[in-house]
Amino acid sequence: MEAVTILNDLSFTINRGDTLAVLGPSGAGKTSLLRLLNGMDSPSSGHIFFDNKLLEDHPILELRKNIGMVFQSPAMLKGSVEENLRITERWSDNVFSTDKLVTVLEYVELSQRFLSKNAQSLSGGEKQRVALARVLLNYPSVLLLDEPTANLDPKLAKSIIKLFSDLQKGLGLTVLISSHNHSLIQNFVNRVIVLIDGKIIEEGNVGVLSNPKTKEVQHFLLDENE
Amino acid sequence: MQEFYHITWTDVFVSLVLVGLTLALIRWWKIGLEKTLIIGTVRSFVQLTFMGYVLTFFFEQRHWSFMIGLIVVMTLIAGFEGARRQKKTPIPNYFLILTGSLFTTLVIVLGVILAFILDVKPWYYPYAIIPIGGMIIGNAMNSATLATNRFMSELQHRRREIEMMLSLGSPVRAAVQDSIRESVQAALIPTINSMMTVGIVFLPGIMSGQILSGVDPMIAVRYQIMIMYMWVTTTALADILVLALVYRQLFTSKAQLKQVNVRR
Repeated sequence: MEAVTILNDLSFTINRGDTLAVLGPSGAGKTSLLRLLNGMDSPSSGHIFFDNKLLEDHPILELRKNIGMVFQSPAMLKGSVEENLRITERWSDNVFSTDKLVTVLEYVELSQRFLSKNAQSLSGGEKQRVALARVLLNYPSVLLLDEPTANLDPKLAKSIIKLFSDLQKGLGLTVLISSHNHSLIQNFVNRVIVLIDGKIIEEGNVGVLSNPKTKEVQHFLLDENE
Repeated sequence: MQEFYHITWTDVFVSLVLVGLTLALIRWWKIGLEKTLIIGTVRSFVQLTFMGYVLTFFFEQRHWSFMIGLIVVMTLIAGFEGARRQKKTPIPNYFLILTGSLFTTLVIVLGVILAFILDVKPWYYPYAIIPIGGMIIGNAMNSATLATNRFMSELQHRRREIEMMLSLGSPVRAAVQDSIRESVQAALIPTINSMMTVGIVFLPGIMSGQILSGVDPMIAVRYQIMIMYMWVTTTALADILVLALVYRQLFTSKAQLKQVNVRR
């Protein structure tokens, strides 16, 4: 298989409690970056530190619980929403009470009646919420959200973003959210990095977006507003 | 009453009448397989005659090393053939995995049969070890390659689901559990179907052959029952062994799905 460099020469720091947006056009390497942080892939060179310790020195399964990831179009197992929420019971000692499941559904603004619904026939937005609830049941301290609004209509997208914002404040999570749509999430995050062709082009607080230094970023910001 | 239906080479040539009939039939209906059919006819004649001489040679040997050697060679050929069929979605070390699984299955199942059921003495008595060993290896290979094939397409099909579970902190084993279950079930279907219908819908070739050559039907039946049980154990054991080794090849030590044709 041909080796392709997807991310190159990246360096950035995230502080506890930060909400960081990883912005960039599709194909910029946003998903690849998030997958590295969750340990789904390993970098071919370079180092990632988490809690002052090399990422690869953390026990991988614990790390993934601690750094939860919601994929762009989340996979649902065959069966009910309840079975999907109970998935970690398959490999851990977790036993969730129904009350617990109802509470976590409330977090993601779904009612109790969703428990018995067929998970695979939910709408895109509902799947996002169930996937988020599933991750929250692991009590993560970091959340990685990969293009969470990509398949949603603008109104739904806004309500999901608001949900993340509420959760982040309520639970004190550190959140990384990738998006090709900066206008949607810029009010929710306090820092951004702009990734183009696998490189960080712009980094800082949200202000950098209103005053982009490089043409590439200007181009990206304009493109998407069309 | 004639107890033993002796078949001569002349009889075999006369049975070519059946092939001739088939040839005429496919010609008439323009099926277009004449050449293949003739090649097949010649090949089955040559291969089986050759096998007859090989078997006769081995049956004349009365030393355990010959039996061990024969079994090892049979297993290696089965492993090679099975691994060759897995070219489309290559699996690292598949030849070793398959051959190892087949051999382990063979040793366990054949061991139980020779030691406790047929009570063969000495254990390397060729009339037991060659046909039974051959059946075990053949069935194990068919089923294990079927299971592997299905497992690879399950992984492709469930890639997102498996990565979702891994990302939630699932050990690899738990993440592939559903794929393993589906694959072993699918590979066991032919065996289970045979167990369900044997004696009602069809008479197995071995049993028919035994009866034809004059064996008491009740003895032939007892043999067949043992063979059915042997068959299901063989396939289940081979399928599970091979998949238990295969799935480990497809993930890194960091519980990441490797890029071996499973990922885009």
